[in-house]
Amino acid sequence: MGGEVKKLSLLLALAMLLVACAQILGIRPPEKKPFPHHEHTAKAGITCLRCHAGILGATDTGPLHLPTTATCVGCHQKPHDTRECNGCHGLSYVREEAQMDLDHLKFKHSTHSKRLKDNCAYCHRGVETNSDHVRPTMALCLSCHEHQEDFTAARTCDRCHKNLRGEEVRPESHVAHDGDWLREHGNRAYSAPDLCSTCHADKFCGGCHGRTVPILPEKLAFDDPMRAGVHRAGFVSRHSLEARTQPGLCSTCHSTGQFCEGCHQKNGVDVSSGGRSPHPNGWVGLRGESNDHGPAAWADPSVCAACHTGAGESLCIGCHRVGATGGSPHRPGWTSKMRPTIDQPCRSCHEGTP
Amino acid sequence: MRGLVRRGALVSALALSLGLSRPARADPYRLRVDSVGYSQSPQSPVGLIILQGDGKPSSWVDAEGLVWAGSTSNNYNVSNGNYDVLSALVRLHDPRNYVQLRLGRQMLTVGSLRPVHIDGADLRLRSPMGTSIEGFGGVPVEPQFGYKAYDWLAGGRLAQSIGSTTSIGVSYLQQREYGQLSYEDAGMDFAAAPARWFDLAAHGTYDLIDPGLAEAGASIAGRFGDFRPEIYATQRSPSRLIPATSLFSALGDTPSDVFGASLKWRMFPRLDVLPIVAARDVAGTVGVDGTLRVTLRLDDRGDGAISFEGRRQGAGPDQWTGARLTTRIPLSARVRWSTELELVAPDDPRGRGTVWPWALVALRWIPVRHWEVAAAVEAASTATATREINGLARLSWSWEGK
Repeated sequence: MGGEVKKLSLLLALAMLLVACAQILGIRPPEKKPFPHHEHTAKAGITCLRCHAGILGATDTGPLHLPTTATCVGCHQKPHDTRECNGCHGLSYVREEAQMDLDHLKFKHSTHSKRLKDNCAYCHRGVETNSDHVRPTMALCLSCHEHQEDFTAARTCDRCHKNLRGEEVRPESHVAHDGDWLREHGNRAYSAPDLCSTCHADKFCGGCHGRTVPILPEKLAFDDPMRAGVHRAGFVSRHSLEARTQPGLCSTCHSTGQFCEGCHQKNGVDVSSGGRSPHPNGWVGLRGESNDHGPAAWADPSVCAACHTGAGESLCIGCHRVGATGGSPHRPGWTSKMRPTIDQPCRSCHEGTP
Repeated sequence: MRGLVRRGALVSALALSLGLSRPARADPYRLRVDSVGYSQSPQSPVGLIILQGDGKPSSWVDAEGLVWAGSTSNNYNVSNGNYDVLSALVRLHDPRNYVQLRLGRQMLTVGSLRPVHIDGADLRLRSPMGTSIEGFGGVPVEPQFGYKAYDWLAGGRLAQSIGSTTSIGVSYLQQREYGQLSYEDAGMDFAAAPARWFDLAAHGTYDLIDPGLAEAGASIAGRFGDFRPEIYATQRSPSRLIPATSLFSALGDTPSDVFGASLKWRMFPRLDVLPIVAARDVAGTVGVDGTLRVTLRLDDRGDGAISFEGRRQGAGPDQWTGARLTTRIPLSARVRWSTELELVAPDDPRGRGTVWPWALVALRWIPVRHWEVAAAVEAASTATATREINGLARLSWSWEGK
């Protein structure tokens, strides 16, 4: 008997756990039923305008024209609850979507209703079968309004969207920001910068790539940890690891030298400021000795340039100028169209040589 | 003279930020002010006010601007600058965008050329047949208007669209520093989406000073229901990414190559899984990098979410492993709670601690419409400090109207 109770309890707990998981993962039927439009229109013969009074003359500035409790109790004279009807009946996001349309779209029911002879179901497809999505899709708009040229040729969405940038929604349907978008966005933006600028202002790109950035977007929005960013969380601590494992990544955005210098000097990671050297033992040696700095410099010269530009270059020139003990620092096969004794920076080492 | 230029630019930017003086027609103006206070290193304390705005007074003109003032943690300003302009841009164009002239401080992303921040002009012409020509020129932006003599850059792009699915372009950039050639790059970009379930993009930049490929990348992605596989490859040549005026550009380098694949899988309606695996060749040594990102949305809109990311950087000389757990939980329509925890373990700690933990707890509150307050406490034990605790605060005001 005790064993059966245990089994039953275990099964019950398991079932509850599964239900909880399903709820969290979104595997569940809708919380509420869609508003029963079919029962009201087809069965009871109530016209759309009885509940949505004034909708035919609605412009893009007016109220939503959604029924209130007062509208409902006009017929349902003995409501079963004292609360607002639309608190339970109908789906909350339908109202949110309607408000979003009103805020962001240039749309007037008044012009559409005349052309469609007050046939609401022409656009609100599915409303007659109690569909939970009564908001017309963009594809439906485009089935009458041909805006292909606007979008593909002129990259403008202004015909319908009041303020696409202000909507701050990701257009998943046609411009997906999918996968590892932070890595991929450049590759995709190269061929379509005008497409990006449909939604993103110049200062959006400049927020990371600009030379006068006040603060990185992810640092400004510190309260939103889901926002993508290269320098998120404890980046300051791990930046040397990232720089060394991904050569050239830093220099795709940062000009070397002055960018790193100030911080390194302040934190004492800089010999010139009397701080500690970041280099391990055996970094620089005579020929035949441990001499790791050469291969490291070839792997990512920009890391060296981060500290050793300007006066720091003399450290390199001292050993590697033509005729000095360090030998040629150029990688085998390296060529340049610069003139060794005339152009900077060649002159530093080659001046005076034939 | 320089002071006059500074004042002029600031006044212009402020005028733009404040929404211009002309009345609006249909499109709204937006204004936003953020004031930020951090006690964070490397330059603490940090105080900052950011003022930004944009608007579209007519179908022929739009403008935007962002100015800021304060003490910042941005290392560009080693002199601890206290004001600057990020963008101050006027765009003149016909309603169909066939001709477009952009004047002022702007970001230029032209083909596969690296994004450049300039004070100058950019002219774009587009034909109905899909051909577009772009030319630009100006002075590279320097913090605090600290322009150098004979600094300038110029370039352009020629592109052709084939149908509405394919685009190919070639671009060129020449940049001078003190009159010396610092960059001369030619680029090519290509993108195509031959089917709704398949697209690809590629780009390459060729260094014309030290001839060779500076940077190249390609990716191919598919969409099959809840799955989105992608393969990608990149090559970077670090010495060609630094200006030719730097001594270090003359070293020559070993390009860093990456070949990777990712798979985004919507495992459940609210659960996304994104594994990424990449082989990376750094100076002849091949290593494997891996990332696993799992995101669980707590509601259909994703306002609340929990995300985990595990990461292994197995290539290069400084390998490391990390994990990051983030949560964003709306407590009510006006209050949101978020937390972030990161652990990083370098393979070779070199006396800097075996694990570097970093954590943040933040609260955002919208007391009334237009206003937003956020505050956070950040604690860390890092390579540079055994213990570090910082406070962060932000007060924002935003407005949108006609």
